Amino acid sequence: MRTFNLPDLGEGLQEAEIVSWHVKEGDVVKVDQPLLSVETAKAVVDVPSPWAGKIAKLHGKNGDIIPTHSALVDFDIAGEGGAAAPAKKKEEAAPQKAAPEAQKGTPIAEDSGTVVGNVPTSNAVVAETAIIRKKQKQEPQRVKALPSVRILAKQMGVDLSGIPPTGKNDTVSAEDVRNAAGGSRGAATPSAPQARWDIPAKRTDVKYGVAEPLRGPRRAMHASMTRSRSEVAECTLFDDADIHNWMPGQDITVRIVRAIVAGCRAEPELNAWYDGEKLERTIHERVDLAMAVDTPDGLIVPILRRVESKNAQQLRDDLNRIKEATRARSVSPADMKDPTITLSNFGMMAGRYATPVVVPPQVAILGTGGLRHDVVPVMGGIEVHKRVPLSITFDHRCITGGTACRWLAAVIKDLEKAQ
Amino acid sequence: MAKVTMVEAITMAMAHEMEKDPSVVVLGEDVGLNGGVFRATQGLQQRFGKDRVMDTPLAEALIAGISIGMATQGMKPIAEIQFSGFIYPAVDQMINHAGRLRTRTRGRLHVPMVLRAPSGGGIHAPEHHSESNEAMFAHMPGIRTVMPSSPSRAYGLLLAAIRDPDPVVFLEPTRLYRLNKAEVEDDGKALPLDTCFVLREGEDVTLVSWGAMVHETLQAAAKLGEEGVSCDVIDLATVAPIDFDTILESVEKTGRLVIVHEAPRNCGVGAEIAATVAEKAIYSLKAPIGRVTGYDIPMPLFKLEHDYMPSVDRVLKGIRKVLEA
Repeated sequence: MRTFNLPDLGEGLQEAEIVSWHVKEGDVVKVDQPLLSVETAKAVVDVPSPWAGKIAKLHGKNGDIIPTHSALVDFDIAGEGGAAAPAKKKEEAAPQKAAPEAQKGTPIAEDSGTVVGNVPTSNAVVAETAIIRKKQKQEPQRVKALPSVRILAKQMGVDLSGIPPTGKNDTVSAEDVRNAAGGSRGAATPSAPQARWDIPAKRTDVKYGVAEPLRGPRRAMHASMTRSRSEVAECTLFDDADIHNWMPGQDITVRIVRAIVAGCRAEPELNAWYDGEKLERTIHERVDLAMAVDTPDGLIVPILRRVESKNAQQLRDDLNRIKEATRARSVSPADMKDPTITLSNFGMMAGRYATPVVVPPQVAILGTGGLRHDVVPVMGGIEVHKRVPLSITFDHRCITGGTACRWLAAVIKDLEKAQ
Repeated sequence: MAKVTMVEAITMAMAHEMEKDPSVVVLGEDVGLNGGVFRATQGLQQRFGKDRVMDTPLAEALIAGISIGMATQGMKPIAEIQFSGFIYPAVDQMINHAGRLRTRTRGRLHVPMVLRAPSGGGIHAPEHHSESNEAMFAHMPGIRTVMPSSPSRAYGLLLAAIRDPDPVVFLEPTRLYRLNKAEVEDDGKALPLDTCFVLREGEDVTLVSWGAMVHETLQAAAKLGEEGVSCDVIDLATVAPIDFDTILESVEKTGRLVIVHEAPRNCGVGAEIAATVAEKAIYSLKAPIGRVTGYDIPMPLFKLEHDYMPSVDRVLKGIRKVLEA
């Protein structure tokens, strides 16, 4: 007996469904006689008999799905007994005949589930799990660190998980890693994470929580400021001087001093003393300019004498002398006596505009803020210019707003000169 | 439960929805009598008639265009494009109209259509039958892009795509059409769009892939599993918009990310994933993000297509590089 297995129908398909048998058990068939019709993924094809002989057994009935290469028909072949080997060559030829149209070319592809190429096919049944993860709550602490920090830790042989993170967003920073690698400091406090919050150290030169009497310059400041507040009708005017056109090498402080002189030439009323009780004012020709200087001991206001009569070099020398004297605490009361107008050059520290306080009997004080780059409109366009912010406080009891404005205009005009 | 291939699962989903909803129609080249080039619409015309399963001329712009028209007027068309490289004439319609009508008409019209097309290589077909152009659609606002990677996801996601009130480009990995079978119940249960599927859970590295490359990725993960490396394997499934919650959560757990896709690297969907992970989870990254992708060349003629598509070895190499970084 020989067993005819369902051949691979040349389509790469792994199974076929029996549509109908054309023979029954006991029939005698010839080579190439159609045995049955099977349906593959697409076509219904007849499978011809590979051998002549008697049908001993049909494996499967109509509607059964037969896997390729499994038994289809058992044959009794005359002259053969027992289990003869199937005529393999013949069997392989069978599918060619099974689908005669295959020899014409295209229909074989039609049956393979595509008109071009070769779709890989298998009957293997795969099981898989596909999970849809719901957004979970934040997991317990995992180490967060930039990849660069992780590499650093690797290079330094530091275990990131033991380091309290102090970097932004609770990350372990490069500094944390270096600290941990550097010695016991990092390792000693493994469980005390510190949020980074840079508070500067406490100053040690200050007495905290103790009432202390004001001394020296601070006492003088109390007196002069209180007097000012009770007497003077203060009004402050703000503006800026555009120093974009300055020649190189200008001495800013010297230029401001000269501008004050220019202001006082234009409107001398601001370079004056006023006695509110007598309703008298004294306009000065000389300009004795008080320079407010901040020191650890308080406000010291030494005077540049006769600035209207000095050139740039002399003014610079005077300024240096004052600076030196202030630093050496050698400014005497005489050096601070009877100024005619005051300059507060606070901008070197911080601040743009201020309302500086006039110290009677003077009637005006100019504050200069920090030089800065401002965006300014120029002829319909935009440029960035360096400007000096100016604040002039004047005593409105004896000076009109107009006078103050003209004074400030003259100051600005002088300050904006190229040199 | 039926054991079906992916292409059978696709047919099953369309048949289910056509049975249930008379506004669902199928159209495309040879989808009727012939059953479609890949047999995805096999038997549908016999079952639902020529009015609902329509053979069209060879004109992809028309296929997309009339689908959009029908969709705006209450139908739910499922249009089939024969091969990925034939989709380009339809792209104008998809981008200019399908993706924008809702916005353009301020909500008066919307376009509940599905554009089905095969995608990717691996079947020894010419190069314009084998390309992966999902990034092109992913870049276009107003269009969802979905790529299933198994029979069950093909069934569930296609149902969701048909039911979605807005256009979905449904790219079917050709190589997976008959690669294997799975038990899929024809129960009409849709899977969620815009959601990743986690196919394997692990702690050491996150692998994100979609379409056919999910298979190489899973094989690589299994190999690494034997070596004691556990991989979180995520099937993107909806290529746009991306479910970043799942990806970010996984990367925050593993600290390592490798993205595997068959499409060219340059401006691929992998780039978007890498960028977003860098933006949102860089503090969790322990290594640079890795990508294993096709090359920036046209899909080669088929003798070389397996050199083009990332192999399991290439995926493994890419993962190892990230693990060792």
